[in-house]
Amino acid sequence: MKHLKPLNNKAQLLDSAVEEGQVEEVVAMQSIAGCTATTDPGWEIDAFGGVTSLCQPMESDLYGCADPCWWPAQVPDMMNTYPDWNEKAHKSGEDWRNLGTVFPGDND
Amino acid sequence: MNKKNTLRRSMAAMLATVTLGAMALISSTVMAAQGPALKSGDEYMIVANYPNQMHVLDLKTDSIYKTCDMPDRFGPGALQVSPDKKTAYILNNGYEDIYGVDMDTCEVTFHARMAANKKERTKTIYAFALSYDGKELYAVQNPTLMERDHYRVQPTRLAVYSTDAGVNAKPIRTFPSPRLVTAMQVGKDGGLYMAGADIYKMDVKTGEYEVSVPSRNWKRERYVQPDVLNVWAVQTPTQDFTILYTTARFQKGSEDLNSADWLYGYFNINLETGETETKDFGPITEIYFTGTRSPKDSNIMYGVLNRLAKYDIEKQTLLKAAELDHSYYCITVSNDGSKLYLAGTHNHVAVFDADTLERLNTITLPGGDMSTTTAQVFIR
Repeated sequence: MKHLKPLNNKAQLLDSAVEEGQVEEVVAMQSIAGCTATTDPGWEIDAFGGVTSLCQPMESDLYGCADPCWWPAQVPDMMNTYPDWNEKAHKSGEDWRNLGTVFPGDND
Repeated sequence: MNKKNTLRRSMAAMLATVTLGAMALISSTVMAAQGPALKSGDEYMIVANYPNQMHVLDLKTDSIYKTCDMPDRFGPGALQVSPDKKTAYILNNGYEDIYGVDMDTCEVTFHARMAANKKERTKTIYAFALSYDGKELYAVQNPTLMERDHYRVQPTRLAVYSTDAGVNAKPIRTFPSPRLVTAMQVGKDGGLYMAGADIYKMDVKTGEYEVSVPSRNWKRERYVQPDVLNVWAVQTPTQDFTILYTTARFQKGSEDLNSADWLYGYFNINLETGETETKDFGPITEIYFTGTRSPKDSNIMYGVLNRLAKYDIEKQTLLKAAELDHSYYCITVSNDGSKLYLAGTHNHVAVFDADTLERLNTITLPGGDMSTTTAQVFIR
């Protein structure tokens, strides 16, 4: 870490964790859920590097990913930030055209 | 939903609002009875879906028996059935509240808000369960203090509720809880099995816990750490709490993943006896989100996501697979083991013959997607 300089608060926290010997306490999440950035396969590619084990069609998996904030970068977080995202699309397979993109508002 | 139904529901809601105006502050309890009471000896299944309903399905006819509107908002619709099969408990309202619903009347008889106070935003990520006698309910709560200019994550806790506490239930005990717990069941001996990084067993009187089934920390020679998805705590006819894992096993003398065997397996806790198992049942060729064993033959494992598959556990071979019209998350089996019910994702419950994997029926639910609801099958 000696060649890296922390620029923001999170980086400073990491730096102090290293100094205090607490890095070992930070472990990868094995069970992921709830607004955690993740690189687990499942959205763009499946566990085999292909697409056949992705949910089919992708609409069937939309709310399973949005409700629990499973893929907060890929779909809106319906758990906290955009609870009404699918208000006009309760049947994702038929109503998906009513799903829009979301943007942080001034208050977010 | 047809117009007549909508009108009936609106009128019922209006009537309830007028006559029970004094109860407006606890409007979540004001639910209209819809459909007949359940019949003793009959087999049913419950699921929840958008916009915010719980459906009771009659498994004799594979049709919708009744629909109950749920209070507040949908999400995730995780369900547990009380041991007397009268009350369905649902985690809903954006993972923030648990409601007990009398399945005969659709009335909300129990309500616990996961947040301990107004400053907290508290989520339960699927992890709740009922005691074996149904007198207590356990929930893992993940609180965040919503300060004016920042959030403060609080330690994860286990809250214990008395199920006769009514619609303003408060915890009767709380304990520090392991983090990342997302599925739970209770054994006959009273121990609470909490599936997270490992499967822990907690003494719900003292809060002490230990690892019951190691997962992240398993010590299996030549095996890598397993990958596990703990979301659907299905109550099975055989009282088995079953969770699938995937893993890789190195060849002897090698630590090369390219030549390793990639395997599916299951963790199992028999809630009646406390017996635990960690067992591989086949090679990974596709992904399953849930799996359940046949109540007729414990050597048969079924798995589902994009296909419905059937395995011989001892031989570790795929016996049969059925194509599906779309992904389904949650598999359940009828008490006699003759039929399989696939739920979750869209609003179809797919019914299959458990022996031949022939599709027998599709029950289309009024309303929208089931998303990650937990389907539960039971005999009243």
